[in-house]
Amino acid sequence: MVKRHVLTSLMILLGVLAWTNSYGSNLARADETETAIATDDVDLEAAEKIFKKSCRACHGNKAQGAASYPKLSHLEPDYIAEKLEIYRSGEKIGPNSILMIQPAKKLSDEDIANISVYVATAFD
Amino acid sequence: MACNSSFLTLPAATLLLAGSALAALPAFAQSGMNTTSLMSEVVLDGLDNPWDMAFLDDGTMLFTEKCKGLSVRMPDGTVNALYGVGDTEGYSSNGSDLFCEGQAGMMGVAFDPDFGNNRRIYVYSTSNMSDPHTNRLMRFTLSDDFTSVSDRTDIVDDVPYKMAASNHPFGGPGAHNGGRVRFGPDGALYLTTGDTHNGEVPQSPTMMGSKVIRIDTDGNAHPDNSPPEGFDKRTYTYGHRNVQGIAFHPETGAAITAEHGPWHSDEITILANGGNAGWDPRPNMAGRDDCPDDYCGYSPNQEGGMNRYERAAWMPMTDFDTYPDAMPPIWNNNGWSQGTSSAAFLDGEAWGDWNGAMVVGIMGIGFGGTPIGQRIDVIQFNDDNTDVEDVTEMTLPMEPGRFRSVVMGPDGSLYTAIDEGTIYKLTPGS
Repeated sequence: MVKRHVLTSLMILLGVLAWTNSYGSNLARADETETAIATDDVDLEAAEKIFKKSCRACHGNKAQGAASYPKLSHLEPDYIAEKLEIYRSGEKIGPNSILMIQPAKKLSDEDIANISVYVATAFD
Repeated sequence: MACNSSFLTLPAATLLLAGSALAALPAFAQSGMNTTSLMSEVVLDGLDNPWDMAFLDDGTMLFTEKCKGLSVRMPDGTVNALYGVGDTEGYSSNGSDLFCEGQAGMMGVAFDPDFGNNRRIYVYSTSNMSDPHTNRLMRFTLSDDFTSVSDRTDIVDDVPYKMAASNHPFGGPGAHNGGRVRFGPDGALYLTTGDTHNGEVPQSPTMMGSKVIRIDTDGNAHPDNSPPEGFDKRTYTYGHRNVQGIAFHPETGAAITAEHGPWHSDEITILANGGNAGWDPRPNMAGRDDCPDDYCGYSPNQEGGMNRYERAAWMPMTDFDTYPDAMPPIWNNNGWSQGTSSAAFLDGEAWGDWNGAMVVGIMGIGFGGTPIGQRIDVIQFNDDNTDVEDVTEMTLPMEPGRFRSVVMGPDGSLYTAIDEGTIYKLTPGS
């Protein structure tokens, strides 16, 4: 049950997270920048399962973005993690924040680290 | 009225050979499906949110990309970029007033039924030519060599556009534009529109959102339209939420919409001339109090999950209590809202028992406990063609996606565009 909540949460979180990208500052590509997240420590297999079950439907099979759900794959893991943490704190970033805040509150630091690295690196 | 004359001299140089290259990709066969076997083939890939397609008998295919523009894929697979959104590069000409934002951009497209004689095509797009901005249905003349368009005439220029963000899910600018453009068997041009997250629009007699518009190719109201007194005469039906699907029954000729519900109740509805679809998300009516930014469309509890039937009782997709004569939906997706987008009727003996059945493309959502549900459903009607008799999920021979558009091709195949950037051809066979 806990896992199910986490999966749903991540799906929603990434939806609004992506939206915020269009409002954000210029971002360096993930492959051009070192990240603070220790990529060796994340569980990419677990993240892939989450992505396929809960993220792909909105953001596309390669996180390339679809419809009004923007692209994620070019973002830095640190940026993704930072925004997820902001949503988890309850702070609104844009008009779609209400899709993100409530589920974000259920995420652990490990959940955020896993999915942030996976989305930013799996589709290079 | 608007004309665009900013033609660039990028004739066949803009031809993209993606089509012919992709046609060489292997087709994936799959057997044991519900009624027939289906094969899928990638027609085009790497597109930017393909939204709609239209065909000539020889397979020539117009297609739109939401933020890029209108193109045509020729029978040999070459692609000519015809009319770009804003300053998008690589198009034969551009609409400097066209733009995309959120759900808005370039959407539906259609060939004129008399295209062989008049070369006319029709495209629906968001435009900043007026303020507040609007969605416009444009008519063009397509050149004999299919490399450029000219004579832009905006035959509808007043479909509302959502200018500013609001406190709602998906609350950014550009929400709910409808967008499908189709000719009916009556020869009339139909355009579907949306509510723009504005509670006043659906039941408004004059704001042309939340309507199915029936017009001639100059934009004049069809003489047989019979909306209520005081309504804009272009109105065929009203009180819709966000109609992205419309198709015409092959036997009865009836216009049938497939509509995206709020947090519940996607709907298929057989339209009646002058009918009310019963969507009215205004606050302080029908037992409701205030709602965020005067729009109750996602209430109650718009920020979280909730039983869909409780939602439907509080904010019905079709409000029979307030509008007892509203057009009844014949399908409500078991009470779910999963992003029902477009509709078409299968045509051809190769489809077996599905020949003549309706198909609807469902994009998938997955919020608050709703199953994501990306799929194409096959909707079979009863003998009287007045109700749904059976619904079957099409067993797809490829990975599902956000099925934005389903269009019957002249070759008997079903073409479908997914937001992820691919147009597939689905062909029945063993």
